[in-house]
Amino acid sequence: MRRLIPMLLLALAACGAPPAPSAQGTALTWAIETQPITLNPQQWSQNKARLLVFNQFDALLSKTEDGSFRPWLAKAWTVSDDGLTYTLDLRDDVTFHDGEKFDAAAVKANLDQFRVPGYNPAVAAIQLRAFDEAEVVSPYRVRITLKEPDALFLDFLASPYAGQVSPKSFKSAEDLKFGGPDLVGTGPFILDRYVQGQEIHYRRNPAYAWPPAGAEHQGPAHLAEITYRFLPEAAVRVGALTSGQVQVIEGVPATEAALIESDPELRLRTALNSGTAYAYYFNTSHPPFDDRRVREAFREAVDVEAVLRSVYRGTATRAWSIVGEASPFYDTTLKNAYGGDVAKANALLDAAGWKERDAEGFRVKDGRRLTVREVASAPFVRDRRDVLAQAIQAQVKQNAGIDLQVRILDQGSAQKAWDDGAYELFGNSRGDSDAGAALNLILPEQGAINRTHFADPQVDEWLAAASAASDPAEREELYAKVQRAAVLEHAIVFPIYVPADQIAAHKSVRGLRFDPASGTPASAYDVRIDT
Amino acid sequence: MIKRLVTGLAVLWAAATASYVALLLAPGDTVDILVGDGPDTPEIRARIVAEWGLDRPEIVQYLSYLWRLLHGDLGRSYQLQRGVGEILAGQVGPTAQLTLAAAGTGVTLAAVIALVTAGRGRWARGAASAAELVSVSVPPFLIGIVLLSVFSFTLGWFPVSGAQGPRALVLPALALGLPVAGVLGQVLRGGLERALEQPFAVTARARGLTERALVGRHALRHALIPAVTLAGWFTGTLLGGAVITEVLFGRPGLGQVAMQAVTGRDMPVVMAVVLLAAVVYVTLSTLLDLAYRVIDPRIRG
Repeated sequence: MRRLIPMLLLALAACGAPPAPSAQGTALTWAIETQPITLNPQQWSQNKARLLVFNQFDALLSKTEDGSFRPWLAKAWTVSDDGLTYTLDLRDDVTFHDGEKFDAAAVKANLDQFRVPGYNPAVAAIQLRAFDEAEVVSPYRVRITLKEPDALFLDFLASPYAGQVSPKSFKSAEDLKFGGPDLVGTGPFILDRYVQGQEIHYRRNPAYAWPPAGAEHQGPAHLAEITYRFLPEAAVRVGALTSGQVQVIEGVPATEAALIESDPELRLRTALNSGTAYAYYFNTSHPPFDDRRVREAFREAVDVEAVLRSVYRGTATRAWSIVGEASPFYDTTLKNAYGGDVAKANALLDAAGWKERDAEGFRVKDGRRLTVREVASAPFVRDRRDVLAQAIQAQVKQNAGIDLQVRILDQGSAQKAWDDGAYELFGNSRGDSDAGAALNLILPEQGAINRTHFADPQVDEWLAAASAASDPAEREELYAKVQRAAVLEHAIVFPIYVPADQIAAHKSVRGLRFDPASGTPASAYDVRIDT
Repeated sequence: MIKRLVTGLAVLWAAATASYVALLLAPGDTVDILVGDGPDTPEIRARIVAEWGLDRPEIVQYLSYLWRLLHGDLGRSYQLQRGVGEILAGQVGPTAQLTLAAAGTGVTLAAVIALVTAGRGRWARGAASAAELVSVSVPPFLIGIVLLSVFSFTLGWFPVSGAQGPRALVLPALALGLPVAGVLGQVLRGGLERALEQPFAVTARARGLTERALVGRHALRHALIPAVTLAGWFTGTLLGGAVITEVLFGRPGLGQVAMQAVTGRDMPVVMAVVLLAAVVYVTLSTLLDLAYRVIDPRIRG
């Protein structure tokens, strides 16, 4: 019977052609994988939910592919020479969905909101740590003063956290931290319905006339309505698309990509995420990875291309650095600079004293097997990273006699293992729109997620200098040095692949783009249906 | 009746306490959960501890939890940053709809199949028994995927997701109800066949009662007792199955909230869901006790 079911499915699938999407032209349904845990842009924390934010809200600036910034609600801005004063000139034709005027006082109210205790302590402590005060200079000019220079401040002004909320609704919103229809923005769409576990529905803002510079069109959005439906199962999303029940889906696993590409009615688009690559970080605080040779050997023992081919069927992009290829700070000189040399891996391990082998073929030193543990938290395992770990496990065993043990635990148990140092490897990728922000969390000795226990005063100095520098070229040079130190000199990291996002859609849907700041799907502003 | 009420309350208290203790003993720290994947500094941690009152002794936290429960305050979700009552309120309806529809589907299917096949030839019984076995042994996830592939993706008869009217309820109710129908059908048929061999059946036949009247009016009552006893298992299967079914079909409901809460270790939500399940269970078992008396007059004495 179990064998009969797939056969039955195949037979049925063969006789039914996918119907075309409902050709109303102005309404669209988009199936997404992840439910937002908040609709308040200033509480936002999920990259997978970023595509919703800029439907309802607009930020002060927008970020481009090359890492520079463009006007949005702020039509011009200047930064003083000492990097402490930011003066923003705002558009004077913008209104919130509740009819309130957007002006300098609104910008000040939005910044000051982060000062409210408990509102968003994380943003207050990280992105706004240098924020001193905001002053209303004139109705449409606001001056922001910092306590110390912060190169990431413009990035903040272009992030979801700078999504402008009607100051009136800060007070009237029933649930401020969660947001919803009563937390009002200025965006191209108005949120009018949210059903937890099912869908979120927006209607067009007919007054909209202030897209970011460089948008594909001006004026209100093309779509009169858009519904995002939550379908966590990939196979169900793909089935809903092929049967015409939804017109767009995001999150297409490698196993389903071929099916979509072979369908002449459908289109698949992929973009690399910005931020950091998915990499294994070595815990350098205890054996065996306190020895640089063992770290390097682990990296050399894996044929990354072959692993990615087998796990992702050629859809994954190999990473060479902590910083992903989509980031302007990616150091291209690292490409092909290391990796995949099995003979070298074995020579390094011999030299490090791991010479003997036990009955199962694993290397042994002083009677102890060369065992390393990778600890991962189950809620954050995505992109088949569990399968990826198994493929790497097989390679390091076969090529170098390393015993890799993969432990996927619940969040609490994983956190405990990390706190107790009961791990030798940990995998991580970050979606920060500025890769420098991620490096600041991972590499400094006091970094919030420095789980490698790597400490190098020189690297800390470069990172601090890059955070204070306003010249992108100078930052690029400093981050290149940081990457070379971490990847080549100290070998504390094993970069594996650059995470990507996918959109699949019916061919009649146009204007689907990726947000250059994050590499995740952009808002629905430019989306239209050709009939 | 008072005794039953006291027992019910004791069960609820035990459920509240057990879930509290279990989550306390689970690895990991509440502050870690609240910090999540975000930036993590001692300053942020201190603010979180103060905001949530996590610096108080555990027994104080436990008592204040019980005290708030008595006032109907379920607390605030760590993950979703909203009141638990508010989160669950909107989810009870869709889950009740789904589980009731699934229960109805399961019971109807089981009854029809049992009544039609009880005491019939080997072929009919064999076929029914095989179908029941399959529906019980195939995981609900697979049943759901198969139903979706055939009736939604290929034939287009039913929409894939959401609480969009009765049509959207058909597939999830079937996916959830089939395993119930499988078990219940077997028990019912067994009970019917045993009843039909009892002396009273011979007497009834001798009185000239038709076979249909005998099965429908007399034997069914006897067969119902073991079936009703299964109701506890039944509730568990439906609530547990709702988790998978709701996620698969993208339906709102308690199941998907519970799943998110458990993986994210969102204590207040998990505890509220456990409590709610306990309330349903206690209510149901009380109602069943009453149902026994109606079905079987011997118990009334």
